[in-house]
Amino acid sequence: MSTTNALDEILEFHWMMDMLQTVDVGIVVLNRDFEIKVWNGFMEAHSGKLPSDVRDKTLFSLFPDISETWFRRKAKAVFELRTRAFMTWEQRPYLFKFRNFRPITGTEPFMYQNISLSALVSATGAVDHVCMMVYDMTDAASAKKQLLALQVEQSEMTQTLR
Amino acid sequence: MISVLICDDSLVARKQVAKCLPQDWDVAVHFAKHGEEALKALAEGKGQVLLLDLNMPVMDGYQTLKGINEKQLTTKTIVVSGDIQPEAKERVLALGAIDFIQKPVSAADLAAVLHKHNILALAEEMHAGGLDDALRDCYQEVTNVAMGQAGDHLARIMNVFVKLPIPNVNLIEVSELHMMLSDIEMHEQTSGVCQGFLGDGISGEALCILSDSSFSDVAKILDIQEAVDDELQLEMLMDVASILIGSCLSGFAKQLDMQFRQGHPVVLGQHQSVEDLIKLNKNNWRKTLAIELSYGLEGYNVRCDLVLLFTEDSLETLNSKLAHLLEE
Repeated sequence: MSTTNALDEILEFHWMMDMLQTVDVGIVVLNRDFEIKVWNGFMEAHSGKLPSDVRDKTLFSLFPDISETWFRRKAKAVFELRTRAFMTWEQRPYLFKFRNFRPITGTEPFMYQNISLSALVSATGAVDHVCMMVYDMTDAASAKKQLLALQVEQSEMTQTLR
Repeated sequence: MISVLICDDSLVARKQVAKCLPQDWDVAVHFAKHGEEALKALAEGKGQVLLLDLNMPVMDGYQTLKGINEKQLTTKTIVVSGDIQPEAKERVLALGAIDFIQKPVSAADLAAVLHKHNILALAEEMHAGGLDDALRDCYQEVTNVAMGQAGDHLARIMNVFVKLPIPNVNLIEVSELHMMLSDIEMHEQTSGVCQGFLGDGISGEALCILSDSSFSDVAKILDIQEAVDDELQLEMLMDVASILIGSCLSGFAKQLDMQFRQGHPVVLGQHQSVEDLIKLNKNNWRKTLAIELSYGLEGYNVRCDLVLLFTEDSLETLNSKLAHLLEE
């Protein structure tokens, strides 16, 4: 009886991991030294870097474009206060330079991203890891940019009519 | 009781305006002969509503409006004037008047304007209280603890002393939210972020509004050397907002033995008046529980307002959770 239970648990763990791999959101787990502990399928597919390539390497060594002081400041509040930190595409279009998911019909050359950082509390109650989630916001961003362009065009037209 | 101040140099005009006030409106009426007298009366708290003439000796209506802004007096000013040039109207509205009525004023015109800006309802609300006193006290206390934590978090991250305000808890209507927000920032340019939250059948939105004049000091505190451009300002706004909103909500939720999930924050706009910042979805809701907090940092010119808004349908759950707290 107990062996079937244990087997069930392993099976459950397996499909849970599978879900983490296939979910359409980038998931990265970092420790206090900003070494990568989890790199899911979304991140793998878009970056072209395998989990085995990135594991235990620091985020800054893999992505030299990310400013270390800036990112550390963002993460400080998450580690110390356990509040979530957010970065929106309006603030900076992307953290990881990924290509647009629709390279042919999409109008933007790269993927706009919303990013959130949240604290992961360990069994001991301490926060030793943070989870970074990367959302693809390209459609929303291009729609908003088009809308803004239209508004500018419209106000220019009314001004010339005056 | 709500008080109304009528400011006009002509006795006839003062009497005429007073006669036009709605009959059933329970208010205290005060009078002033020119702007200087009006500012003095306003400073004494006489006049939550000001009916103001433009052409007067000593201090005219325009100067009075400027004085109100400079002294940061809170009043809702309706200009009553014979000067009906469109320019005059535009100018007084730009100076912060909420509306303009042409002289001679009629009871119907005045009632329509008061109704339009929901001033009559405001009086009723103040009169009726709107929210049970014990419950309001409870909300205030829970918020006090939560905002204390948020302030402490901000202080630790920024290494500054945070001046904690007394939270303002009110059940308000859609149009009053606009008035409340315009009270927050006296016609200063602001940038804001809003963030939805929900949990256990309670949902709402948090607004974090930072006045634009705060940015240079925030940059100093965060030890940012680069030139403070729009992009960096947005960054600072997001950082301040996520710390304040995040810790205030978690402090609030913890006391109610629950957890809130936060959505991704959305930028409302940069360098705009609050009026433009908030486009309310007026069809979707009527009333909201608003908790207003305004933070300041000692020794710095930083004003940051945090407003937590809970939806009407959350109130039942929220109240029962609080009632539980009252019993223990």
